[in-house]
Amino acid sequence: MPPVRTSEPDALDAALRACADGDPDAFAPVYDALSPAAYGTAVAVLRDPDHAAEVTQEVMIEVWQTAARFDPARGSARTWVVTLARRRAVDRVRAEQARRNRDQRDADRQAGERERDVVVEEVEQAFETAAVRNCLGSLTPTQRDAVLRAYYGGLTYREVAAELGAGLPTVKTRIRDGLIRLRDCLGVNRG
Amino acid sequence: MADDVQGTGSTGGPPTGGAWDLLPAYALDALDDLERRAVERLLETDPDARVALDEYRDVVAAFTVDAPAPAHLRSQTLAAVQDLAAAPTTPFSAPAGAPARRTSPQGAQRAPRRWGVALAAVAAVAAFAVPTTLAVQAVQEQRSLQEQADVVAQMLADPDARLVAAPVAGGGDASVLVSGDHALFTTAALPAAGPDEDYQLWVIDDGTISSAGVLTVRDGATTALVDASPGRVVAVTVEPAGGSEQPTTDPVVALET
Repeated sequence: MPPVRTSEPDALDAALRACADGDPDAFAPVYDALSPAAYGTAVAVLRDPDHAAEVTQEVMIEVWQTAARFDPARGSARTWVVTLARRRAVDRVRAEQARRNRDQRDADRQAGERERDVVVEEVEQAFETAAVRNCLGSLTPTQRDAVLRAYYGGLTYREVAAELGAGLPTVKTRIRDGLIRLRDCLGVNRG
Repeated sequence: MADDVQGTGSTGGPPTGGAWDLLPAYALDALDDLERRAVERLLETDPDARVALDEYRDVVAAFTVDAPAPAHLRSQTLAAVQDLAAAPTTPFSAPAGAPARRTSPQGAQRAPRRWGVALAAVAAVAAFAVPTTLAVQAVQEQRSLQEQADVVAQMLADPDARLVAAPVAGGGDASVLVSGDHALFTTAALPAAGPDEDYQLWVIDDGTISSAGVLTVRDGATTALVDASPGRVVAVTVEPAGGSEQPTTDPVVALET
């Protein structure tokens, strides 16, 4: 099959349908079009190229296996793959956290906190090319902080609340209102 | 419907309610298990919530900066998919019009041949679990698959093994091979579960329902070895992704062992 791009949704959707029908030759263009979204998503959460590569491979195999579940009426193939990749990357972060909590509670927690501070700064740079960048200004500083910590740290909002020393309802509301503002600014509307 | 979502969003007040408020955090994978279940229940019943979730997922996807994956990953992944595509996908064909109860003695005699193919499918899965990157989990999976294959080999050699088969509500066929206290559950042509759903297997013993795990379905086929002595019921329900503590829907198929 000829190359397809996420900017050519019809060709990509057609290649995914062919994958769902079990045509392995349709997978190469799907891989080429979607693996950058999977890898970019995994790197943002895991910040480790090797782990991100592993997640990318898992996700792309999942794409092949579950291509029949992709429903273009519900969103783009890119969003679908980002959703799959983010879920796997976050699962990995949480499994790693659980392991650390068992193993080396104190030492690793201190290292983790330092890491996270650095990461919040790195985040600003990554945004230079993110589609969402121009919309971040529509958030209040506290909304922005909560959303970015949840996004890049792979944290639950409870963990975000603990990090910020803020109440659960407060953080829940910041994340909710932050995403609503981003949605409206990006003009996302599936109506 | 979508106008409501858009309208309320632009005035800053989304539809209210506990699970609705959690949709953005759900899209960010920022919920714990309990809250995730609550949101998934909402998604099952409220199409507007699904639309809202799809919008939030677009927002989350806008954070991603695409980046080329390491070059070596491409050939590995393409090769893995070629292997998967070549693996047998239909372990057996359920006999046409098979009753949803124990088969005749003839059926039982035919069973070993049919299930020999199922065993080949198990072996093929074990052989596939190779992607070098899947490390520990794959090794564990492989070991348990090997153990399963050993048990299944014994079951196939059992002249008293019985086959119970029935169509699945919604499509496909399910059957269970019973030998001693083991039951090998298999499906063919099972339709894919919804995007936020999984098939879950249950063993029912005199009113006590135990989970036998979420089914991994590949091209409509799945194989699960469960402990189920004669007289128990093996059933499948559709559950929110990840499975449930107890069934939350009616079974799509139930087979007496």
